[in-house]
Amino acid sequence: MTRLLQLIGLAAVLALSLLFAVVAGDYAPWYFAWIVGTVMIVLIATCGAVLFETQETSRADGRDAGF
Amino acid sequence: MDHGVVDLSRLQFALTALYHFQFVPLTLGMTFLLAAMETVYVITGKQIYKDMTQFWGKLFGINFAIGVATGLTMEFEFGTNWSMYSHFMGDVFGAPLAIEGMMAFFLESTFVGLMFFGWNRLSRGGHLAVTYLVALGSNLSALWILVANGFMQDPVGATFNPDTMRMEFTNFAALVFSEDAQAKFVHTSIAGFVTGAMFVMGISAYYMLRKQHREFAARSFRMAALFGVISSLAVVTLGDALGRLDYLVQPTKLAAMEGIWHTTTPPSAPWTAFAIPDDVAQKNYAEINIPYVLGPLVAHSFTTAVPGIIDLEQKAKVDTVNGIKAVMALHQYSEDKDPAALATFRQYEQTMGYGFLAQRYAPDQDLSKLTADNLPAVLDRTARETIPNVFVEFWGFRLMVACGFAFVVVFALGAYYSLRNKLETQRWLLRASMWAIPLPIIACEYGWIVAENGRQPWTVYGWLPTYMSASSHTVGYMIFSLIGFVLLYSAFIAAELYLMFKFARLGPTEHAAPKPVEGAGPATFSRPGYAEKSWQ
Ligand code: HEM
Repeated sequence: MTRLLQLIGLAAVLALSLLFAVVAGDYAPWYFAWIVGTVMIVLIATCGAVLFETQETSRADGRDAGF
Repeated sequence: MDHGVVDLSRLQFALTALYHFQFVPLTLGMTFLLAAMETVYVITGKQIYKDMTQFWGKLFGINFAIGVATGLTMEFEFGTNWSMYSHFMGDVFGAPLAIEGMMAFFLESTFVGLMFFGWNRLSRGGHLAVTYLVALGSNLSALWILVANGFMQDPVGATFNPDTMRMEFTNFAALVFSEDAQAKFVHTSIAGFVTGAMFVMGISAYYMLRKQHREFAARSFRMAALFGVISSLAVVTLGDALGRLDYLVQPTKLAAMEGIWHTTTPPSAPWTAFAIPDDVAQKNYAEINIPYVLGPLVAHSFTTAVPGIIDLEQKAKVDTVNGIKAVMALHQYSEDKDPAALATFRQYEQTMGYGFLAQRYAPDQDLSKLTADNLPAVLDRTARETIPNVFVEFWGFRLMVACGFAFVVVFALGAYYSLRNKLETQRWLLRASMWAIPLPIIACEYGWIVAENGRQPWTVYGWLPTYMSASSHTVGYMIFSLIGFVLLYSAFIAAELYLMFKFARLGPTEHAAPKPVEGAGPATFSRPGYAEKSWQ
């Protein structure tokens, strides 16, 4: 039951996000691009750091740490 | 109006704005980079990411503390030096400016305090949320000032009221969602991201070159390079969007930016990569042209002609003739409220600004003294006046664009060698990253020169000429306040540079080994003794 509620909740968030994207895409395409772009930029920088740690772990374990 | 006072008011605003904008981009960009670093700290629990957030946060704090003061004076300058402009635009300009003040002081400054002093008082998640709010707050406060500036470039959402003699709101949403405001905000905000990324990458490169703080520098470099590579691509994309908007709504700015004197013939119209534009002779010297590029670049089309300055001047003459009718009808309406005068005004309202512009060259600045004999000379001078300084516009634009492409290359190489763990062998790249630290700030300054020089001779494009916007101060007063600002702001810059160099040289506080923080992130990322392993 909890799973189902979680699923419904996530589906609602998804539907709202899509609705927001459609409306924002019509009226505020560049603002929307900024929101999506900034999240992406922050996530990519974050992933880069996490990858760095993984590469270091591999190196410490004697595996190839290059990308 | 004394033209010396107008020129001094312009110089004062330009200087204070350019000084102010040496601080702003770093604030806009560093905050999101700090948020990214803190996010990694919260995910992995590694102390080193907390150190990174705190050290780069300290440098951000120096910039923020000194920079915030430089913006305040500009808000006052609108009232003191540009009172006619403030009267004309107050209804439109007041709202975004007030929201900007609220954002800057309540949202941004409150959370900045919490960010610095809340490390031991807030939970990890709570502190991270605060850092994100600082980032959002600083960018949102920039949004509102850019919305106001967007109106000055492309006045939408307001109309002129002949009874109050000012622009009044008709549609707030049109103002906020104007394409100019949107593109301006994103271009400027992302230009800040580029600045923040280059700052962190450059100082990290300095540590690597000196083989200091290697664990710290390698991680900072990696994050900044990835942050910067996407940001620099985005800044170029948005720059292209802004250029296209200028083509649509500010054709004189676009023609000056690209040095186009004669309307182009598609599809072979060339893009001028290099030239020495001569504003007096109205031609370019030493041109280097690349055919077939201009149309797709500017108008996103192979079949559209781009209007040249000479033709735009001819069009301005027609607008000036109509504008003179609008202004004379407005004068008459303000004296006797004659409905016929109002009807005439409404008919030519869209060209009113050109009438104001012509007034400057009319005998005794009185349009009713224009005759068939003196009108052609006034039209010629007014038409010439509608074109901004081409040399400044052309080169300001090219230097900004050149920086933009250089940043893409530097960040891409930085990201590539960092991901391959081969950075320390590329000393030339580390050196280039270090020397590139001031370049994004310089590119931002060129950006503002392009935006504001290109808008001349208007404060509100097509509606209110700059020469009419200033207050009626004396030259002596303007020189006195100008010298005061230059001295004060130079002292701010000197203090900023001194503190930045001092704390950057001191570097981060070293921790023996990054310890996992209780309850934070997966343990797989925390390896004992990890910090001692030299990064290479
Ligand atoms: C290919 C690269 C670029 C292009 C095509 C471009 C284009 C433009 C244009 C057309 C404007 C004038 C906007 C107006 O009419 O009001 C502008 C302004 C500006 N640019 Fe750029 N730009 C580029 C790169 C950069 C870079 C790398 C930076 C800084 C890191 C930057 C920062 C600015 C700033 C701060 C402004 C003034 C604010 C604004 O109008 O948005 N630009 N840019």
